[in-house]
Amino acid sequence: MTVGIVVVSHSRALAEAAVALAGEMLQDGRGPIEVAAGLDDGGFGTDAIAISEAVARADQGDGVVVLMDMGSAVLSAELALEMVDDDVRERVVLTPAPLVEGLVLASVSAAGGASAAAVAAEAGDALEAKTAHLGPSSPEPGGTADTAGTADTAPSGDDERGSFTVAMPHGLHARPAAQLVRALHGLDAEVRLRNVTLDGPEVSAASLSKVATLGALHGHEVAVRARGGDAAEALRRVLGLAEDGFGEAGPPPATVDVEDRTDHRPIPASPGIGIGPVRVAHRAAVTVPDARPGTPDEQRGRLDDARTRARDQLQGVRGTAAREIGEAEAAIFDAQVLLLDDPDLLADAAARLDGGADAARAWADALDEVERGFAAAADEYLRARAADVRDVRDRVLRALGGAEEQDSAPDGILVADDLTPADAAALDPARTPAVVLAGSSPTAHAAILLRARGVPAVVGVGAALAARAGEAALLAVDGSTGEVVADPDEPTLAAFRDRAAAFGRRRDDARRRAHEPAVTRDGTTVLVGANLGSPEDARAAHGADLAGLVRTEFGFLDRREAPTVDEQEASYRAIAEAMDGRRITLRTLDVGGDKPLDYLPVAPEANPFLGVRGIRLALARPRILADQLTAIVRVAHDHPVDVMFPMIAAVDELTAARRALVEAIEAVGRGRPADLRVGIMVEVPAAALKAAAFAPHVDFFSIGTNDLTQYTLAAERGNDQLAALADALDPGVLALVAATVRGAGDDVLVAVCGELAGDEAAVPILIGLGVRELSVAPGAAATVKEAVRAVDLESARDLAAAALTCADARAVRALTGTDRTLGERPGAPSVPWTG
Amino acid sequence: MAGLDVDGLGRWLRIYAASVAEHQEELTSLDAAIGDADHGANMHRGMAAVVDGLAATPPADPAALLKQTGMVLIRSVGGTSGPLYGTLFLRMASAVGGETALGPETFAKALRAGVEGLVARGKTELGDKTLYDALGPALDALDASLGDGEPLAAALHAASRAADSGRDATTPMVARKGRASYLGERSAGHQDPGATSAALLVAAAAQAVAEGA
Repeated sequence: MTVGIVVVSHSRALAEAAVALAGEMLQDGRGPIEVAAGLDDGGFGTDAIAISEAVARADQGDGVVVLMDMGSAVLSAELALEMVDDDVRERVVLTPAPLVEGLVLASVSAAGGASAAAVAAEAGDALEAKTAHLGPSSPEPGGTADTAGTADTAPSGDDERGSFTVAMPHGLHARPAAQLVRALHGLDAEVRLRNVTLDGPEVSAASLSKVATLGALHGHEVAVRARGGDAAEALRRVLGLAEDGFGEAGPPPATVDVEDRTDHRPIPASPGIGIGPVRVAHRAAVTVPDARPGTPDEQRGRLDDARTRARDQLQGVRGTAAREIGEAEAAIFDAQVLLLDDPDLLADAAARLDGGADAARAWADALDEVERGFAAAADEYLRARAADVRDVRDRVLRALGGAEEQDSAPDGILVADDLTPADAAALDPARTPAVVLAGSSPTAHAAILLRARGVPAVVGVGAALAARAGEAALLAVDGSTGEVVADPDEPTLAAFRDRAAAFGRRRDDARRRAHEPAVTRDGTTVLVGANLGSPEDARAAHGADLAGLVRTEFGFLDRREAPTVDEQEASYRAIAEAMDGRRITLRTLDVGGDKPLDYLPVAPEANPFLGVRGIRLALARPRILADQLTAIVRVAHDHPVDVMFPMIAAVDELTAARRALVEAIEAVGRGRPADLRVGIMVEVPAAALKAAAFAPHVDFFSIGTNDLTQYTLAAERGNDQLAALADALDPGVLALVAATVRGAGDDVLVAVCGELAGDEAAVPILIGLGVRELSVAPGAAATVKEAVRAVDLESARDLAAAALTCADARAVRALTGTDRTLGERPGAPSVPWTG
Repeated sequence: MAGLDVDGLGRWLRIYAASVAEHQEELTSLDAAIGDADHGANMHRGMAAVVDGLAATPPADPAALLKQTGMVLIRSVGGTSGPLYGTLFLRMASAVGGETALGPETFAKALRAGVEGLVARGKTELGDKTLYDALGPALDALDASLGDGEPLAAALHAASRAADSGRDATTPMVARKGRASYLGERSAGHQDPGATSAALLVAAAAQAVAEGA
């Protein structure tokens, strides 16, 4: 039974926020919830016609429950009923329930398969928990109706009995309560619960509003009594749920977002084959460790130590992320570090310590408060930050001795709603054959990290499919095609093993030939470089012909003052020496207002990615640029060095940057280094289109496809909703690559140093467009070289020409898909989801 | 006279729209005192949409015109007056059947049917300080005058005066319906904005018939 719900409000924002709030209660799918709110012009008001249409949409034959705010909402809803078909009208219930509380209860009840009348009744009880909670003048918890119910139906005799202790740190709050109600739905059993610790009344476990009146907090004991044909099964389910912490898993908002996405096509996100048992990522909330005695001062000391440890860990994760994916991405960990030291938060925790709480409890409660604030925010970005808060909370609690359940997780294919970048950075590739995510996108930070770490991944499969995968005993995953097969039969399994073997052979070939140049079949040499952030990266860049991009930001972060010329020279020299004679391309400082440095303050900007960043910031602070260029010139006298300016949009900027370089050369006083070359990053679409104007002033262009894609499609990289759109293989982006090559002429080399360069599907297209250098993550250089060797320039040109005429990235990928899998898999791709 | 045809009814609505526009500030300030200060803007938006709709898709007969008016008001007014006035016009549309011109009796019966629909929708009665406090007396005056053999123009003129008295009588009332009822006793001493716009509707009908004569 699927009862639809319609939310009628004067305010569209209010209605949508209420729906989002209700969505948090539903971990796996929900029935239709339609909104009819506000006027077409965005003003407040209700519209009976819109309501009647919403009712028609929500109705799937099992009825519709309508919740309304006040006044005209009620009249309009009544009028709307006159406008719908007679048979639909008979199935519609208008409920007087309060809009927000009622919607939460109704949506849970509807998701559990209740009838329209039952959903409406449940919604109608919505005020009970709040009434019981507030004011001693209110009726007893459970209200009179429930007391009567107890008397009438009190089970006696052969009841199934049991009890559990509430393990969740937040108690049996609404979300686990919803799990409980749903687990019991459809059983022939009457189940009643009682909070033994509080010696409270017995309430029905079938009603979310009643379960909420239990007030069962962490550590409370709850007695369970069941009767009826399925009483034993009901008891087993309740106790089983209690054992599992009521499925408290993952950051809840992600589920809502996943559900809202219309496109649930599995997306290949990291190539490779994974076969193995399933490991569902129940990121079981880190439990708050038992209170330890101590004075407030001692507790404060413990908390400070734990925060220091958490900060060290975060800096470690940040360092990995900075090396493997880049500074801009690593900046998300800066936000977490900031939170660790947030003065308001620390004041709150200190107040709790003074109030007698121990360190762990004070920290957990203070962070929970912040998390709730974020989770309830209307802004999608802020809601997503709730996961960051939880990360920080758990990290400190673990340092305080909180149970860490993740480490005990068995090896297997990880199935989860989403991964935080920290999770992805911490994942052990040896124990994780593959990753399957309900949400996320191939361009999300987590996916980029997974690729860098060589873990096959398929993302964006949707909550329903992820749930199915999570229940499988065995999964087979192809991160190159997006296929995920649950419980594969023997022939399928054999086919996946063959593919895995072929993939492995290719990788081994690549390793063996890593140090040979990458030459296409017809003899064109393409340089394959590595993107580096440190000397360690340089050592990992197995087979790279050069360092096509050295991110110099690492020397500037986490400091109170800018690094000196000597310090910079030493770190660039270390990288040059690690590369052992191979050319290094040093990109000057590329930061902006999204993470201002202490010594490089930037006025707050509404949109830092379109603000004063890259070369714009460098030219505004000439001292910093002068020092950096001086260090680069000193190294360039002893090693082959390129200098590259980021975020160039205008020739004037390049002219000014080159003038600064000339001044640095004069300052060093040894003349121009013979082998010093100058280039720019092409990230701004205008720079690509004006390449001919830049060409006389540079030795090379390096296209940063990550930012170029983001700016060209006006689609933020981290936003899952835009995953399909923000694909660097979009023909619009490829046209800008083509324009850059055209403008570059014969004397200027065109390189690509974004993620796209490491996408094997893109390699022939980029070469066909005229790109002659690809710079990729250190670990990927060998396989990209192998991909270059498979290219035939003539057909690559045809392929590139065809790609430019495609409508979208999906069409481009379809062009390349056949080539990529040729010889590995006979026939058409199998249906991605089977079994 | 033949009665109100599509043109006559259209004139009624255009006159009403102009009148609402003229009194928009007054309706809003009345609503500001006891409600949410949107009645003037809501009715103005709704009636402007009605007039635009009549020009864009001219209805073929009175029933179509009244139905179109009701639907547009429901769509565009937003506040409580949307479903209330919308219901009034939809019920009028059902009451006039396929007639091409509404005689005095037909018009009066249709208007009564419309007001009864509005009353049922709002679950209101006389003295609740609502539109009905103007419309109820107007209907009675209309029927009485027609019963006395007066022509429609004169009868509507009488109805309009009755509506105005009914509207004035709302001032001392304590609201029992709508947003104003939240104010309880404090709503006394303010003229009801809904009754005010309703009285304008009747006055517009009187003017439309007078001009058409």
